[in-house]
Order: sequence, then C-alpha cells, then structure tokens
Amino acid sequence: MIGIRIALAGNPNVGKTTLFNALTGSRQHVGNWPGVTVEKKTGRINRNGHTIEVIDLPGTYSLTAYSADEVVARDYILEEKPDVVVQVVDATHLERNLYLTTQITELEVPVVIALNMVDEAEATGCTIDRERLSSLLEIPVVRTVGTRGEGLDDLLDAAVREAKTSPHHEHIVGYGNEIEAMIASLVGVLAADKDLGDRYPLRWLAARLLEGDENALAKVKESPVSSRVQDILSGTDLDEYEAAMADRRYDVIAAVLPQVRTAGARSMNVSEMIDRVVTDRYLGIPIFLALMWGAFELTFVVAAPFVALIEAGLAWLSAAVAGWLGPAWLASLVGDGIIGGVGSVLVFVPNIFILFLFLSFLEDTGYLARAAFIMDRLMYAIGLPGKAFIPMLIGFGCNVPGIMAARTIEGEKDRLITILVNPFISCSARLPVYILFAGAFFGAAAGAVVFFLYVLGISTAIGSAKLFRHTILPGESSPFIMEMPPYRLPTVGTSLLHTWSRGAMYVRKAGTIILAGALVVWCLASFPFGVEYGSSESLAGSLGRLLEPLVAPLGFDWKIAVALLFGLVAKEVVVGSLGVLYGTGEEGDALSTALLADPGLSAATALALMVFVLLYAPCLATIATIRKEAGSWRWAGFSVAYGLVLAWTLSLIVGRIAPFFLGGA
Amino acid sequence: MKNVIQGVFGAVLGALYTGFGALQIVAVFTGPAVPFVPASVFWGFVLLVIGAVLLRGARNLSRGLDDGIVFVNVGILLSVAFGAIALLAAGAGALEAAIAGEAWSVADAITPAAYLAVIGAAGSSRGAEGSSGGSVQHDATHP
Ligand SMILES: Nc1nc2c(ncn2[C@@H]2O[C@H](COP(=O)(O)OP(=O)(O)OP(=O)(O)O)[C@@H](O)[C@H]2O)c(=O)[nH]1
Ligand SMILES: [Mg+2]
Repeated sequence: MIGIRIALAGNPNVGKTTLFNALTGSRQHVGNWPGVTVEKKTGRINRNGHTIEVIDLPGTYSLTAYSADEVVARDYILEEKPDVVVQVVDATHLERNLYLTTQITELEVPVVIALNMVDEAEATGCTIDRERLSSLLEIPVVRTVGTRGEGLDDLLDAAVREAKTSPHHEHIVGYGNEIEAMIASLVGVLAADKDLGDRYPLRWLAARLLEGDENALAKVKESPVSSRVQDILSGTDLDEYEAAMADRRYDVIAAVLPQVRTAGARSMNVSEMIDRVVTDRYLGIPIFLALMWGAFELTFVVAAPFVALIEAGLAWLSAAVAGWLGPAWLASLVGDGIIGGVGSVLVFVPNIFILFLFLSFLEDTGYLARAAFIMDRLMYAIGLPGKAFIPMLIGFGCNVPGIMAARTIEGEKDRLITILVNPFISCSARLPVYILFAGAFFGAAAGAVVFFLYVLGISTAIGSAKLFRHTILPGESSPFIMEMPPYRLPTVGTSLLHTWSRGAMYVRKAGTIILAGALVVWCLASFPFGVEYGSSESLAGSLGRLLEPLVAPLGFDWKIAVALLFGLVAKEVVVGSLGVLYGTGEEGDALSTALLADPGLSAATALALMVFVLLYAPCLATIATIRKEAGSWRWAGFSVAYGLVLAWTLSLIVGRIAPFFLGGA
Repeated sequence: MKNVIQGVFGAVLGALYTGFGALQIVAVFTGPAVPFVPASVFWGFVLLVIGAVLLRGARNLSRGLDDGIVFVNVGILLSVAFGAIALLAAGAGALEAAIAGEAWSVADAITPAAYLAVIGAAGSSRGAEGSSGGSVQHDATHP
C-alpha cells in the first residue's frame, strides 16, 4: 500500500475537474468558463494495490499567482509537494498551456501532461505528435478526452510510473548566458540557507527572485541570506529580467510547436459567429435581458402546474394525517409542524429545479463568460471589473458559491466589494417567499412583482458596489481580461446531473435545517401547555411580541417577526415558519389562503415583506462564507448590519408608497 | 444568391417580429386589440430584440457585409428558442388549467412568439449554412 499523491494542475477551463470526476467518480462542479474551481478538492482511488490520492486544483495561467484561486493552486504545488503533477493541457491551446509547463518543470517535481480536449483539436483538423512533444519536453504526454473518460488508465499508469522513477529529468528552459549567470550567483547565495534549500528548488527560487515575484521575495525575507540576496537584486532591473525570461519561454515553445503540431484549416466557426451577435455593442445587453426573461418565464409559468400537483398531494396528506393520528398534539406536530413547515417549502421544488437547469445551461454552454463581457461597460461605470458579474449570476442559485467565485477577481478591494454585494442577489432560497406572497396577493401581476424583486436585488447590489467603491473601498477597477471559452452544447445528461446535484441540495435542506426550524417553531407555538396553538400567548407569541416593535413600523406583526428571525438560518425557513404558525387547513393552498385571510396583511405589506426578505441579513451559511472569504468577522458583521438597515429603510418606503399604486389595497 | 434570399428572409421576419413586439407592448396600454396578440411588456420586448437582430442582419447583407448572415442565423436561433419557451409555457398553462379544472382554449397557446417561430424554424431548416463544427477560442479584451 504505497500512497501516491497526484495533483491536477493546468490553465483554467481545460478540463481538470472533468478528469478528476472521471478518475475518482466524484461529482465536483464542472462548467464551461474559466474559474469554476476555486478550492482544491481531494479524491481517492485504489489501483493495483496503490492508494492514489488525486487533488483537483483551481486553474492558473502561471505560477506567479495574481488572484486568490491561483494562489491556492500555486501554494499546493509548491508547499505540499505532490508526488506527481499532472498538467492538464487543452490541445486546442498548446501555446498558452505550455507556458505553464515551462514553469512547472522548474519546480523539479515529476510532471505528466494530459493532452485533453483532443477531440476538439481533431475536429478542427489539427493533429499533434504526442511522441515528439514528449521527447522534446522529456515529459510523458497522454491523450485524454475528459468528457468521454478516454485515456484515464494510460494517464494513471504514466503518473504512477513517473512518481516512482527517480531521478526524473525534464527539459528546463535555459535563459541565456547573462541571466543564467545571475541565477547561478543567486543560487550560490541561497544555498547557504539549508532550510530554504530543503523546502524549495533553488534554481526555481532564484529565477523567481530575478523576475521580482513578490511571493518569492517574501520567502527569503526571513532567511539569514536575505540581505545578500537584496544586494544582488538591487543593482538590476527586475522588470527587464521578467520580460526577457518570459520571452525565452515563448521562444522555446515557438521552437517546439511547429515540430509537433499540424494545424487544420481555420474558418470562422460557430462560436465566433454567435459571439459576433451576442457580444454586439448594442444588441448584447438586450439579448441578455431577453434570455433572462425567458428563464424567468420558464421558472414560474412552466413550474406552476407541478407546484399545483405537489400542493394538492400535500393537502391530501395533511387531511389524511389529521384523520389517522390519534392524539391531537401528534396530529398537530405532523400536520402543522412537519407538513406545514417542510411541505410549504417542498412545494417549490419544481421552480428551483428549473432555475438550476437554466443556470447550468448558462454555465455549460459558455454564455456565462459572454454575459460578463457584455456587462463590462456597465460594471466599469460602477468601478468593478466585468468579471465581478459572474459571482452575481452564480448567486442567483446560491450566494455561497457566488461569494466563493469572487476568488477569481484579482484586486483585493474589487474582490471584497464583489463579496459584500453578493447577498443582495436573490438566491433560490428566497424564491419560495416571493412565489408564496406574490401569488397570494398579486394574482395575475405576480410574475411582474417577482421580476421587480429580482431587478431590485441587482440594482441594490450595483448601487451598493458603487457606494462602497466611493467610500470604504476606494480604487480603480482593473480592465476586463477574460478568456472566452468556445460554446459547447451541453449534453442532456450533464445538464440534468448538474441540476439534480444542486436541486437535491434544496430537498436535503428541507429535510434537515428547515425541518429542524419548523419543529422549533412548532414547539414554540405549542408551549406552554394549555395555550391555544399558535396564539399570541404561546412562547412563539411572546418571542414575537418582543420583536414586534422593531418591525411594527413596516406593518409586520409578531408572526412575521418570528418567521424573519428564524429565516436568518436559511431564508426558506421564513415560509416554513409561516406554514407552521398559520397551520395547514384541509384545502390545497392553505398557507396562501390563510395569509390572504389575515386582516393584518395587505398587498402593500406583502410587498414590503418581500423587499425585506430580499435584502435583510444573509443566511448563516452565507455569513460564514463572507467571514471566511473576507478574512474577518468585521466584514461579516458589516454585511449583516448594512443589509438590515437597508432592508428596513427600503421596506418602510415601499410599504408607504405601494398603497398609492395599488389603489390602497 | 443565397445571401439575397437570406437577406430578404431576415428583413421580412425581422419586420414581423418588430411589428408584433410593438403590438404586444401597445396592447398593455390600450387593451388587446388584435386577435392572438396578447398584451405583454416582456414578450413584446423579447420580440423586439429578435426583430432587431434579424433586421440588423438584413441591413448588413444589403450593404454587402458577409456578417449579415451571422445575424440572420442567430436571429433565427433566438426565434426558435423563444418559440420553444412560449410553447412550454402554453403547455404548462394547459396542464395547470386541467389540474385546477378550469377552462382552457387552444387560443391561449397561439402567441406571436409561438407562430412567428414556425416561420423562423422553416428558415433555419433551409439556411443552415456556414456552420462548420469545432471551435477555436479567442481572447476578448475590453479597454
Ligand atoms: N470536448 C471536450 N470538452 C471537454 C473535455 N474535457 C472537459 N471538457 C469541457 O470543458 C469545460 C471545462 O471543464 P472543467 O473540468 O470545468 O475545467 P477545469 O479545468 O476544471 O476549469 P476551472 O476549474 O475553471 O479551472 C466543460 O464544459 C467540460 O465539459 C474534453 O476532453 N473534450
Ligand atoms: Mg475545475
């Protein structure tokens, strides 16, 4: 049982995660845009008596990391020293991909190249001589097609072989006499520090120092040889070295490529055709909005009959339960607590699944990257890079991955702003609240109301970003640089798999957090013994009365106060709690009927409530993610406070203005 | 020759989309006036966008710019995609009515997005051109 650790590294969007999933049987997130994976993921396989640990890393263009996700990849390769690095290479972009190869080989770790996406290269008529490439680089090159699981065995064999061979040898770029002399003198100085020599290959470190790499400079800062290193470096123009060394790497690549690749004929292809239109200066944004509306229509209209079916089923169930279960308290626990609480959330599963289907379509086709490009002009006006739009779109599913996606943004302040505004993007957990209240109070106009809420969320995010940029996080945004992946037609299988794996999370949440929340609220509504269920004398009532003054100006009563409080755990719990507190009747749409019948609730209050739920503090999972990604509780606390103040103010305004438009309804 | 046909097709279909889109939006204020053209700001907007893409294609073709074909093709693609969405929505409406036991008539399914897409689909089966497989990435940078 020898353990071998294989790290999958490479440029973004070359298929690392696809290969990882195929190798380990995992279901990590795959998408057709650069920056999907932002954290390292580990999987295990057993093979011929070896335990092989495979690590999927975020994509990186070079080992001089610029963004948070790239740092993760670089640090892993550098500090954790995997036994072998498998560099996944996109066969349609050899040039850019081999640049990273020239850097990885300097690390003196065994390397294997997985020549991936060979299918796409071949489709353009391009052929690559793998043997020649392998002998030129002195690295094994294995042909793979991640999406079809081709070449996995060969890849593992090569990786294991490489990991066990020592000493291994790879072609390393020579930088020419002058630079090599500098490197040699730096290595001479660095060698005096044993500790440093044990941790890093000295030639590599010396080369990085010459390039002025901040990270490398930090590594020698603590070392006793630091001052002598500084002496050598101070007399040199590091920028010039950096450029010269990059040139040398490209020279080597340029020398290799013609020997291994025969290019196919190239004409304007489908990707470029579509891009000509969808990224058009004038038509780009309207097309984007039209697609969003289409998705919206699907999410609501198409899901509606399925929602109705589930509602009918649950109504039948709660009626049946009321008949079967003997003691009244048990019937109430199951009927009001579980079916009322969890059921009212599960009802919206069809909407959630369609929303996720659309989001996975957006990601898998490659349109997501175009959306960011189209929005760049708008984002630039706010002072954020266009890339910051991607975390927003991801946030429509859930704010947690949305905030994580901000790792791909280079500037630290840009990243912070992107993180802080993400909670205002209306995630799927808020959908049930809208559908419930808009459906109950706005009838035919429900769709328009929900659309308004989404737009309000985006506007708040954009407005807040502008505010932060001009106050607490001033700065200039960086220009838009993002690779446009080719459009890929997602297969029905992968789309459904993506939708399922994320939709299942919603269902699982209903069975865990929301169930727990519903049970707590049910207990609060039932105790102390003898009180009428859900009355203001119950514990829930007392708690609600305590909070009521805070939200009374917004027109919310104690039941809503309790629901909002528990909704901090997860926003669906707002609906779950109301389901418990209002109890379930015998009819199908009991909760919406009960809400309509409540004299304390008007259309204007419902609207104010939806605005409040949209904007008020992020859920616990999101707060924890903000703390982790922003690096301090201060930002998490700020996010909660800012959200609460904003929600309170805007709900107040909406609640006051709405009656004029709704004809005093 | 092919370009001329595509150009005329794009111009006619584009004009239809623009016209019906405008009608759907106007109907919001005046009430539905034309049969089978329900009032809807959003659908009206979608039709206007598709119309604009098609007309742009026709205009470019008339000026001898080859990328006009691309606009017409993508316009047709959008036309078919939104036609499918409209049909799905109509199907869902029918299903919902059936579940709730309400009345539903086929007329509810006949919306501009649906019937114009039929013309678009006819166009797409004829004018599938210039669509070689494969794909090449390109870096897009924005100043
Ligand atoms: N045609 C083809 N597509 C592939 C292949 N491997 C991966 N893909 C597609 O390429 C896209 C990117 O795949 P990912 O596995 O997410 O790429 P990644 O390298 O993990 O990307 P990041 O995490 O963003 O760095 C997805 O749309 C995959 O379906 C392949 O061998 N052939
Ligand atoms: Mg990945």
